[in-house]
Amino acid sequence: MKQKIITTMDRIGHRITSINPSPLLKQVPTLIPCLIAAVLATTSPDVAITDLPSVVGGGIGIVLATIVAWMLTANVRWQRYILAVPAIDVLAISAMEHGTNSVNSVIAAGTIVPLLWFTAEAGRRHLSLSVAGTLLMVFAAYRLFNGRAELPNAVELARDRFTFVVISTVSCMVVFGLMRLGRRRMDNIELMLAESRAHAESLRNSEARVSAAEGLLRGLWEAITEQSAIGTDESGLIDAWNPGAVKMLGVAEDAALGKRHIDEFHLSAELAERATELDTLVGSEAANPGFEALIEAARLGITDVREWTYLREDGSHVPVELSVTTRLDGAGETVGYLFVAHDLTKAREVSRLKDEFVGLISHELRTPLSSILGYLELMRDEDDVQLSEQQLGFLDVAERNANRLLRLVGDLLFTAQVESGTFRLNEHAQPLAPILAASVESARPVADAAGIVMVLDATEDCIVNADAVRLGQGCDNLISNAIKFTPRGGTVTVGVGESGSSAVITVADTGMGIAADELDQLFSRFFRTTTATRNAVPGVGLGLVITRAIARAHGGDMGVTSVEGVGTTFSMTLPLLETAKV
Amino acid sequence: MTIDLLPLRVVIADDDPDIRALVTIAVKRAGLDLVDSCSDGTAAWESLQAHAPDVAILDVAMPGMTGLEVCRLVRADARLSGIRILMLSAAVADRSRQAGLVAGADEYFIKPFSPRLLAERLSLLAAGATR
Repeated sequence: MKQKIITTMDRIGHRITSINPSPLLKQVPTLIPCLIAAVLATTSPDVAITDLPSVVGGGIGIVLATIVAWMLTANVRWQRYILAVPAIDVLAISAMEHGTNSVNSVIAAGTIVPLLWFTAEAGRRHLSLSVAGTLLMVFAAYRLFNGRAELPNAVELARDRFTFVVISTVSCMVVFGLMRLGRRRMDNIELMLAESRAHAESLRNSEARVSAAEGLLRGLWEAITEQSAIGTDESGLIDAWNPGAVKMLGVAEDAALGKRHIDEFHLSAELAERATELDTLVGSEAANPGFEALIEAARLGITDVREWTYLREDGSHVPVELSVTTRLDGAGETVGYLFVAHDLTKAREVSRLKDEFVGLISHELRTPLSSILGYLELMRDEDDVQLSEQQLGFLDVAERNANRLLRLVGDLLFTAQVESGTFRLNEHAQPLAPILAASVESARPVADAAGIVMVLDATEDCIVNADAVRLGQGCDNLISNAIKFTPRGGTVTVGVGESGSSAVITVADTGMGIAADELDQLFSRFFRTTTATRNAVPGVGLGLVITRAIARAHGGDMGVTSVEGVGTTFSMTLPLLETAKV
Repeated sequence: MTIDLLPLRVVIADDDPDIRALVTIAVKRAGLDLVDSCSDGTAAWESLQAHAPDVAILDVAMPGMTGLEVCRLVRADARLSGIRILMLSAAVADRSRQAGLVAGADEYFIKPFSPRLLAERLSLLAAGATR
């Protein structure tokens, strides 16, 4: 429709501009009276040819002017020389006029046509050209062609040429005025046309952009085959159903659109459970509690991502992670909801296999360690045989290494639990100082053997909500690291303090330090610093991972500062309940 | 008048023979009477029904039936109501201990366990219970 209007307007525009005729067409009004005059001159005895060369010259002039007009028509580039045509015409007609008894010439009136041509051209200077032409014709007829020695007297001049001058002048003024008016209108029309063309162009551009965006969206929608994307109106009636939804739920697009409700694809028990949960939260009384439960968070403007179970058409279940968002119209009003889900079946299976594997490995490693440690203990407790000092030393080494293996198995199991999210804390409000003191005391024999001074700085104590066993494990890890990386004669200081709303446990050593570029990898699984490998410090790179997981499970975090050759300070921040004086 | 004080009768079950031997030593050191030693859950359940011992020491992860399953069967059987059950497990998580206690175990030992502590524990049981 828009396109049609535009082309019609274009066509009208062309018609209007073609009102400006070709030079050849403009020459026709001059040519016709000249031909009539020529016919009259040859047929009628009343037409007196007073000067044959002037008439022939004038005729040649007219023919020349017509040829020029034709050439100008054929070649548009020469259009600016167009006024040569009326100029030749004026001279030619003047000559013919002279040759046919100038004063009463049959051709006299013909002069007006080329003069009007001047006038019709845009610009005032053309008006002056036509005035000059008129004067030329009035006077030159006498002076140039007549051959008379003296000028005619005023009466003669007025009688012979007055009418002609008046007609010529008035015609010129009128044509000039009309043309100006016409041109102004034309300019306006052209301006409007240009504007509408520009509008049409920008319309076409934005149409192209919109259609490209539409194509992209459509392509994207079709390409999402592994996630289901479902759109509904405000009541939950489905109005968009992507290929992923077809695959995940086993329902074709045309069987879903406008026919099914989103809650039909959910387990009613899950919806009811969530509805009850929300009911106790907001105490709302909904018409369709299941659907309301599904969209409640989205309706409140929260991006709601949680796990649900989709019910396939064949009755089987699909565990999904579903994000529910609102659909808004241009004015920002909610017009429906979007449900985008991805299948968790594989992830669940992988997680289950991993848990199973970790459980199995843990069991298979702990069982032989149980035998080793159990029999070592039996040997030590043997009453009948007195073991030598050296034999007891051997038993110590065997026990220490079995315990080391046991700790490693525990660490691996713990890391796996943290990753699978099955790790739980047993939290109570408790002071930190006793936990730290226990860790320091248990590390003291090792520190003494390594010639390292252990310092506990707990003049101020903090009470936090903590799992004492896990937190103790974390502190043990930090202290054991500090001892491992500190040379003989060094000091390891364990402290507790308060910083803002956090309790901070610090373990500072005077050890070899950590390279700056390795600091951000410290908490990565199985990462070992170059100092650790260079100095053959035992470990597998799990202690800090576990310690940070413990801190984070408590709602806290870990930090580290280190200067190579000076020492390292690890800090663990935990949410503070209260401060206590020791 | 003399009171005939007989040692407590014990049935043990673990699929690992070395652990079985270790537990056996602990039982003997505690002065208890080992009546049967089983290597899987099904055999353990049959033995418990046949002997109706005073104490059962059960591994959790066993073929046939798990220690937890055997424990539940024992607790559901009125004739076996007097049995004290001691669970042994290589699983360290709190919920494993919880599951054992819920199933009806009286004691829960985590592997690796100290044979000395196990023997002490059994001695305490023997001292507190008479037949």
